[in-house]
Amino acid sequence: MTPTRTVASSRTPVTAAPRRRHTAPLAFLAPFLIPFVLFTLVPVGYAFWQSLHKTERTGGTFGRTETVFAGFQQYADVMSEPFFMESLLRVALFALVQIPVMIALALTLALLLDSAVARLKRFFRLVYFVPYGIPGVVAALMWAFLYDPRLSPVVDVLRSVHLDVDLLGPDAILWSIGNVVTWTYTGYNMLIMYAALQAVPADLSEAARVDGAGPWTIALRIKVPVIRPALVLTGVFSLIGTFQLFTEPQVFRAISTSVTSTYTPNLAAYSLAAGDHYSEAAALSVLLAVATFALSFLFLRFTARRQG
Amino acid sequence: MAVHKRVSIVRRGLIGGMALTLTALTACGGGGSEDGSGSAAGAACEPSSGKVTLDYWSWVPGMQKAVDVWNGENPDIQVTLKTTPSGNAGTYQNLSNALKADKAPDLGQIEYDSLASFRLKGGLADIAKCAGVTEAEPKFVDWTWSQVDFGADGKDGVWAVPQDTGPMALFYRKDIFDKLGLTAPTTWEEYAADARKIKAAKKGQYITHFSQTDPNWFTGLLWQNKATMFERDGENWKVSVDRPESRQVADYWQKLIDEKLVATDLQGFSPALYKAWNDDEVVTWISAAWGYSTIRDNAKSTAGKWAVAPMPQWEKGRKQAGNWGGSTTAVLAGSKHPAEAAKFALWLNSDAKALEILNREGGLYPAAKDGLTMPALQQPVDFYGKQEIFDVFAEASADVDTEFTWGPTMTDTYRFLSDGTAKATGGGSTLGDVLKDTDAQSADSLRKQSLKVTD
Repeated sequence: MTPTRTVASSRTPVTAAPRRRHTAPLAFLAPFLIPFVLFTLVPVGYAFWQSLHKTERTGGTFGRTETVFAGFQQYADVMSEPFFMESLLRVALFALVQIPVMIALALTLALLLDSAVARLKRFFRLVYFVPYGIPGVVAALMWAFLYDPRLSPVVDVLRSVHLDVDLLGPDAILWSIGNVVTWTYTGYNMLIMYAALQAVPADLSEAARVDGAGPWTIALRIKVPVIRPALVLTGVFSLIGTFQLFTEPQVFRAISTSVTSTYTPNLAAYSLAAGDHYSEAAALSVLLAVATFALSFLFLRFTARRQG
Repeated sequence: MAVHKRVSIVRRGLIGGMALTLTALTACGGGGSEDGSGSAAGAACEPSSGKVTLDYWSWVPGMQKAVDVWNGENPDIQVTLKTTPSGNAGTYQNLSNALKADKAPDLGQIEYDSLASFRLKGGLADIAKCAGVTEAEPKFVDWTWSQVDFGADGKDGVWAVPQDTGPMALFYRKDIFDKLGLTAPTTWEEYAADARKIKAAKKGQYITHFSQTDPNWFTGLLWQNKATMFERDGENWKVSVDRPESRQVADYWQKLIDEKLVATDLQGFSPALYKAWNDDEVVTWISAAWGYSTIRDNAKSTAGKWAVAPMPQWEKGRKQAGNWGGSTTAVLAGSKHPAEAAKFALWLNSDAKALEILNREGGLYPAAKDGLTMPALQQPVDFYGKQEIFDVFAEASADVDTEFTWGPTMTDTYRFLSDGTAKATGGGSTLGDVLKDTDAQSADSLRKQSLKVTD
């Protein structure tokens, strides 16, 4: 977008181009821009506006209400809640453990699919990707049944070999959720990496082979460094997704006694809004957005520096 | 894309809701203040002239049949029903948004525990001046009327018409109790003693489950012990979640949890719970009148083996019952025909024909006194070994305390209770601490709604 605009504006005074030049790109962008403005920018702006306000009452409990400007009071309120740090640290821990596991798994699968010896590539590419096509709620429900000690065949098998695990208990639940997320998104990330691998020039690998490199060396020394941007991209996507974790814990609330209403920041915002604390929920959402943005930025800077 | 997928629900719920609210605000000219207490009908309640159409939101199964009967008999007051998901599953949220957008229906189903919060939002119309409303008071079970006229903290209007109730009793597996030589416990002390025997009799067998997602079940237990959680005195609210009566209840259940006499890994209304019922692993349920169909429909293999007894008491010889659930029919603020809406609400919840339909189709246990003696509620029930179980509930209905008051932010209070319970059943806290925390957090949430709280 940016280059097009610069070109267009620098030309304008010289050629006195007709207005159509400006309207054409706009017309093409409209199908994206209009919903984007209506359903993303405006709600975000409204959330920010709302986070700066609060409700005041006159004339007793059931009297009149008024929305007044409150500055950053809602932000102070929400940050002083114990659940704020608890839920943020929880998703941070989740990100530290789950994302590396998932990326490593996806990379392994992508490299396997890309290797010369792989058979039935199309079939496996599809199979790995299928979990991503299953709606999040359905996936979470399915896993909930697999975890439930009274319903699950898996737990029955574990019990028969005297492994008594409570996959929905307070100690295990976060990792049970992590397993669902890994299952869902590994295939998706694998596909991005696999696509990047397709773009690795064949002569690179060939040259390496001529120089005596085995398949392992080619994979780790040639292919992985080349698809580094794809790895960074999937990392950032996963980081953002993790901090906005919502569906899986929300579904697990119906079946596990260990997931609270403020288990993740997004779940907390949802609970606040349900209790009519719209302003506080808005403040939490804005804080979460800022935190996610900052972390993604740091991650990109960090990976860029290491590359340099 | 991965990102979008994971947040899709919260987007729809939260941001979507915000977008709606925004459209609503712009639609009414960006007004920042709302008039509370639904003054539209407070002053007068004149009947409209000509034919009127009323919109009604409800989630009672089979409600359409009752509405059809009304529409047949009242050509000038036609009711259009919209079947919605149950209150906390989305309807309250939608109703709040609709009220903000000035597009709310004329009538809506609202549970007792949510009436105060809707009144707080200025969402209810006062129907006290509408024809026949105040005269209808004696037709309803006492405590239900004190819920709709906020009688416990000084009557000031009538804000809904009671529909159904959930007086509580003890469902128990008579066959298992008989086999162990036990009879239905009459006191909580006996209940705990029975719990030990049931646990000892078979591995993995519990007297009941202690759910974390049913905080309103727990408040039903508090209600039995007269442990009202909120009091309103004029402008001021007093939070009394943590009080000796509620402590007694909490400490009792904490002891059962500590001794591992109750199953703490089962959520209410979950497939796992139903399996445990079918497998004889959970053998009692302290529940409301409407619970008879929950067991009947989900524990089919135990047909004929259950029985119903009054709730165990805190002292021998006392007669106190709790209440879990139950709804009202409220006229919503902004309705242009409050007189007609009130007329329909009264008919729906006190006419013999309507009550019969709602009981048969929706399993409602009526709030109208006449409803309690309807023929369907005098029959022996096969699933319960041909016991006339509704006699027990009729008695319980009369034993429910009339002073119990809900706070205007029950969504929050329930959330604090439920989150606290998760910690308690996980071993990191006790139910007593949960009461203490919920008390402080509830006061905080009232303050956040700009309400005055006294100690």
